[in-house]
Amino acid sequence: MTLETRDLAFGYGARTVGSGVTVTIKQGEVLALLGPNGAGKTTLFKTMLGLLAPKAGDILLDDRPLSAFSRAERAKNIAYVPQAHAALFPFTVADVVLMGRAARLTPFATPSRKDRDIAGEALERLGMTHLATRPYTEISGGERQMALIARALAQEPKILVMDEPTASLDYGNQMRVLTQIQTLASEGMAIVLSTHNPDHVFMVADRVALLHETKLVALGAPKDVLTAERLKQLYDIDVVIGTLPGSDILSCSPRLNPAKTLPET
Amino acid sequence: MSRLLALTIAFLFALIAPSFARPFTDAGGRTVEIPDHVTRVLTAGPPASVLVYVLAPDKLTGWVREPSAQEKEFLMPAVRDLPTFGRLTGQGGTANMEAVLAAKPDLIVDVGTVNATYISLADKVQAQTGIPYVLIDGSFAKTPETLRQVGDLLGVSARAGELATYAETGLKTLNDGLAKIPAADRPKVYYGRGPEGLETGLAGSINLEILEAVGAANVAAAAGKGGLTNVSLEQVLGWNPDIILAASPKFAATAKSDAGWANIAAVKAGKVYTTPSLPFGWFDSPPGINRLLGVSWLEALLYPKAFNVDLKSDTKSFFKLFYQVDLSDAQLDSLLKGATPKP
Amino acid sequence: MQDETKNENGIFRLIVLGTIGLIVLALLSMAIGKYALSPASVLNVLISGLTGNTDGVDPIQQTVIWNVRLPRVLAGILIGAALASAGATYQGLFRNPLVSPDILGVSAGASLGAVLAIFFDQPVVIIQISSFCGGLLAVGAVYAVGTAIRDRDPVLTLVLAGVAIGAVVGAGISLIKILADPYNQLPAMTYWLLGSLTAVTRADVLSILPATLIGLLPLILLRWRMNVMTLGDEEAQTLGVDTRITRAALISGATLITAASVSIAGIVGWIGLVIPHIARLLVGPDFRKLLPASILLGGAYMLVVDTLARSIAAIEIPLGILTAVVGAPFFLWLLASGRRGWS
Repeated sequence: MTLETRDLAFGYGARTVGSGVTVTIKQGEVLALLGPNGAGKTTLFKTMLGLLAPKAGDILLDDRPLSAFSRAERAKNIAYVPQAHAALFPFTVADVVLMGRAARLTPFATPSRKDRDIAGEALERLGMTHLATRPYTEISGGERQMALIARALAQEPKILVMDEPTASLDYGNQMRVLTQIQTLASEGMAIVLSTHNPDHVFMVADRVALLHETKLVALGAPKDVLTAERLKQLYDIDVVIGTLPGSDILSCSPRLNPAKTLPET
Repeated sequence: MSRLLALTIAFLFALIAPSFARPFTDAGGRTVEIPDHVTRVLTAGPPASVLVYVLAPDKLTGWVREPSAQEKEFLMPAVRDLPTFGRLTGQGGTANMEAVLAAKPDLIVDVGTVNATYISLADKVQAQTGIPYVLIDGSFAKTPETLRQVGDLLGVSARAGELATYAETGLKTLNDGLAKIPAADRPKVYYGRGPEGLETGLAGSINLEILEAVGAANVAAAAGKGGLTNVSLEQVLGWNPDIILAASPKFAATAKSDAGWANIAAVKAGKVYTTPSLPFGWFDSPPGINRLLGVSWLEALLYPKAFNVDLKSDTKSFFKLFYQVDLSDAQLDSLLKGATPKP
Repeated sequence: MQDETKNENGIFRLIVLGTIGLIVLALLSMAIGKYALSPASVLNVLISGLTGNTDGVDPIQQTVIWNVRLPRVLAGILIGAALASAGATYQGLFRNPLVSPDILGVSAGASLGAVLAIFFDQPVVIIQISSFCGGLLAVGAVYAVGTAIRDRDPVLTLVLAGVAIGAVVGAGISLIKILADPYNQLPAMTYWLLGSLTAVTRADVLSILPATLIGLLPLILLRWRMNVMTLGDEEAQTLGVDTRITRAALISGATLITAASVSIAGIVGWIGLVIPHIARLLVGPDFRKLLPASILLGGAYMLVVDTLARSIAAIEIPLGILTAVVGAPFFLWLLASGRRGWS
């Protein structure tokens, strides 16, 4: 299964946030989306999920336009992990994960034993079983993020779209999520994620897309695309990229420049 | 077998039970079976209460609204402390159906406006309670007929005849007298209700019926046809009535003292009068047969020269005949306080 | 997972125990009222009525039980259940625990329909139909406006359209009340707006039964999907739910049952707001349990309130007053006690 955008323009209402985005995501591949705040990462995701109509261009799922799929068909193939949010009603974690089964059930059906089992497996995979009966409103932000990932897994999708999946997590949970992403990709899942952390890109991404000032400025392997010059262009920060002794992946180290970050008085 | 048994029982019942009902067609065109001997009557609204009280006080089961201490002074002792049931007009009513049933009335009487809403409410209450419910047209001109009709219903035709004759005589005197009064001599009257006196009745309003009956011009008729309505002081100033009738002493005092009212002809001439209101309003509230006495009062007030009315004696005889109450002179004075020109 | 069967059993037990509780409550309520009846005679009348063997049973007792108490008990349960389940649906759908069934203007529309019909002196049946249609039309208008505005959060647009159209309809109601006759029409309007089951007959109960059952159908069928809808429009879409159709079905159902209730009982506030909260505290937010819990609790609450309305005072007390007086302190206690059904 592949998800492809061709010369895609996207935005809200009358406003076009970005344009000219052409990317293809294949099975087993992790594509990272990097860009400063306001670059339109979330808007691009919502467009790729079919929540927003494209301003121009095409979105294709296995060479068929996304709009030709019903909501349920889309959800069977593409799962979305939103940024962890506060929920209104105190559903248990198990109930939240179970909602991932909605696309697999007819509108009037209620989840069967099989659906419960699948939801349970998703929780177990993320080491969340002990939280199953806790209200979603009473667990930590990191635990909510994990529950939302479990919900997406319960959807049994082929493509996973994750909006800053590590943003609200502590260091340990960040690494657990990244490990999961790697494992899922190795099992054949196509994953698109957005992040602000170049290190995470180096760790899990096969390719990275840089979104800057409404355009896709670069697309390719992280080691080729994520250079100090590019990051300076995106974030106006000086960085050093290299490999730490004992590590075999690249990492990025910013150099703080107080004179630059503080406006002159 | 059981059906045969039921039929037999029904037949036996039919033999021993007296024929209970007679048909009666009410003002809503509804045919209602009325029991031969009506002993307990429940009234659906205030005008009906007055009507049943004057015709057959012993058959009245209760009030729609509890009479105040002031009102009780002018009611015969037997009816003063009857229970209160509330209004019985269905969705708009406050009466408790079970309390109504517990009073075991054999007839419900409603007097007043007859329209589709009231007809359907009457049908509904009758279906719900199984008690015959009759609608009586409460228009003032039909007072004698109403008295006779309801008198027959209640089995008090003789008393009803007596009261109806009184009403007929009164109305005849009124109409004969009015025929001699040219339109130019008929005063322009404003009737003010509510604390501010800015609630009045449009042309055709049941609340101002007797003002029309006595041939005076209702100034608010200029605002159109309809029921009670709210008007502004500006409108009243524009109409500039010759006489103001105040439903409450409070409004009468306001009209006499408030600068806003000062330039109205009636106020300048000192012609602001309070409508007597005990034990039931003489002018409206409720718009029942209680208004008959209001006619004598208005004749004396509006046309002192044309009608030779002895208001005090008329009032005494009306109270004696209708309410079965003997008025003392002190009571008479308190009844007419603010209602007549100062001698 | 292990709690699968436990969960199903929990729902089943909730429904069975709740229904038994409700029936017991209904029987108790049947034994209470202004017309003194012993529980034994209530049972006697009920059994004799069911078996058809009514010989020797006091006809007034039969009327009290079959025509006054039973319709009220049934109507109370039906209306309480309808309002509470509509409230639970709207609160989930609009993701706001302060939402009541009035959110999309059904009560306002129904009020305007009723007030207009009263203004034009229509029969009760027309008042009820007009009210029902008014409620549906108002929500239809809100829905049409809300969906016509694109590229905005559809839920928020609906709420704002509801506020705007509700304001216009409210102005219409005020205008009619100003124009209405304060003597003949205004009390009926005021009383109607406060809600009452005084005049409810068995025919009324039967007349709203089909609309209530049809309206409940989508709520029952979509009971699990309703959970997904509480996540908000976009998230529910990414989970594969066609939110537009699902929302339309749920709103139609909830509106239908609310409009049906309001058409015979008038505006009964608080139930649709408070009962879903209490139900959520008791059984959690899962709509598979929340819906039956709301139905049962709503029915029971309305039954208790209506029993008070017809038995604590000599006259009927409007339901809107009692639901607030009984509901508000309880609601505040819930808030103070720190138990929360939302966050």
